[in-house]
Amino acid sequence: MTDIVTLLTDVQFMAIVILLAFGLFFTLVSTVGVLRLPDIFARAHTASQTDTLGAGLALAAVALALGWQNATAYTVLLLFFVFITNPTAAHAIARSAAESGVTPWEKDDDNTEGDDQ
Amino acid sequence: MAANKILVPLSDTVTVRQTVGYAVQSALEDADELECHLVVAIPHDGDGPAGESIIGEAEQLLERAASWVHEDAGSVSVSVHTAVLGTKEYLFGPREYAEEFATYAGEYGIDCVVLDPEYQPGVTAPMLQPLERELSNVGLEYDEAPVERPAKHERLVGQASFDRMFALFWVSYGFYLILGDPTYWFDLVTGAAVAGIVSLTLSNITFTVAPDRIKSPLRTLRFGLYVPYLIFEIVKANLAISVVILRPSMPIDPSLTRVNARVRSGLPLLALANSITLTPGTLAVRANDQRLIVHTLIPSAREDLFDGSLERAVRFVFHGRDSASIATPKERGDTEIIEGEDL
Amino acid sequence: MTTELINDIFLVAAALFVVLAIAMFYRAVAGPTTQDRLLAVNVLGTNTVVILALLAAGLDQPWFLDVALIYALLNFLMAIAISKFTVERGGVL
Repeated sequence: MTDIVTLLTDVQFMAIVILLAFGLFFTLVSTVGVLRLPDIFARAHTASQTDTLGAGLALAAVALALGWQNATAYTVLLLFFVFITNPTAAHAIARSAAESGVTPWEKDDDNTEGDDQ
Repeated sequence: MAANKILVPLSDTVTVRQTVGYAVQSALEDADELECHLVVAIPHDGDGPAGESIIGEAEQLLERAASWVHEDAGSVSVSVHTAVLGTKEYLFGPREYAEEFATYAGEYGIDCVVLDPEYQPGVTAPMLQPLERELSNVGLEYDEAPVERPAKHERLVGQASFDRMFALFWVSYGFYLILGDPTYWFDLVTGAAVAGIVSLTLSNITFTVAPDRIKSPLRTLRFGLYVPYLIFEIVKANLAISVVILRPSMPIDPSLTRVNARVRSGLPLLALANSITLTPGTLAVRANDQRLIVHTLIPSAREDLFDGSLERAVRFVFHGRDSASIATPKERGDTEIIEGEDL
Repeated sequence: MTTELINDIFLVAAALFVVLAIAMFYRAVAGPTTQDRLLAVNVLGTNTVVILALLAAGLDQPWFLDVALIYALLNFLMAIAISKFTVERGGVL
């Protein structure tokens, strides 16, 4: 019996570490994207979506660690909110940028940071 | 019977197309000839250097509207007159507009004005109601076109019904108990009271379409099937975008695209637009009716968007399996890549 | 013993999230448009929510999650309100 319990905790432990690692990785990608990409529309891609996945994975790790209790329901609810509200907010921001006259950056524009040529 | 003469004041609104359609249709109901006067009234700040472009825009709108009239009239003989009003007089408020329309109507013997419910000349606040009042003051007959407004302009308040209240009661009760403790009698009682108050007072603004007793639970179930698929798509797209962003050369190719989605306005469109946005590489910038303007970051994301797999999935959630199999947006010709200025 | 290790892992992860959030501050300060700043602040808010949740697990303080939940909702409201405000400039929100 104790073997199964330790195995379960081991699996849980590994799952938490993996989820956290991926969460951190995607948040890192999101941060790099926001810092590197050329305009607001491109930034919104990583800022609000890659970040959503990063946050989602980290929250999933928290839910897994908390186990079966009331606080886990909170975490799941939080995850649900993040997934609903983040794309909506990104859309609102991009739309407000479009309506206040920001034109999207195109490939043949100049000031290409880090282009091959 | 003689030709019907109608006056349609235009402004650049989302419902202007439907208004023109209604005007032509209703005028041809009891006559076989139509004299259609399309006018754009320029507000008083339309002079000066900015005035040129405003008049230019007005003329473009008139040109488009004239072609709509011909399109809607079909084979019926129709004469279209267009005019830009308010270039000589200064139009300040609803009364000036009403008088201007009355003068114009008197000149041509027009007997009816068809109004766009969203009619909004210039940059002032919505002026439909004051304009209607002034029109009846100057003795001009008017008719408000019944139009379907897109989500943004939908009236918030719907009809209260038992189904709405019932659904809202259980949703809010469930939410309360998740935050509280479902085994504690105090939370159960206060939750029921709060959910009761919420469902009584707010049920008429919660759902735009009343929940259906059979279809809504079914949709929720199918949505449960959709979520894993969406998560799979999100992870896939995230990995693709991560590779692009972390490469030192960062080979991005951003462009704006327009996709005409074949889903109903409201919740289905929201689900589709949110799914598109949640998938990295595509970002919904605008949603005018079914026309989505989507910013795409890399070519592979653009291809996925044009293949319309998310659209099919959303159709599956809301309309069932039968309607899920439609041609891809690319095959339908509902996709195009647009330039930055054409927002 | 394992629980302590897990708690430490959560605290380390929270610290790394803080580092990433600080990097994101550059965009919030540099702009150049209002929407850029708004976007950065919105992402900072999401990061804050995650950090709060990680701390809740790492420090065994489940009530942190209440704060995180409220923060998530306020963060969303802020993004919607400001992006609407930038377009309408004082129009009715």
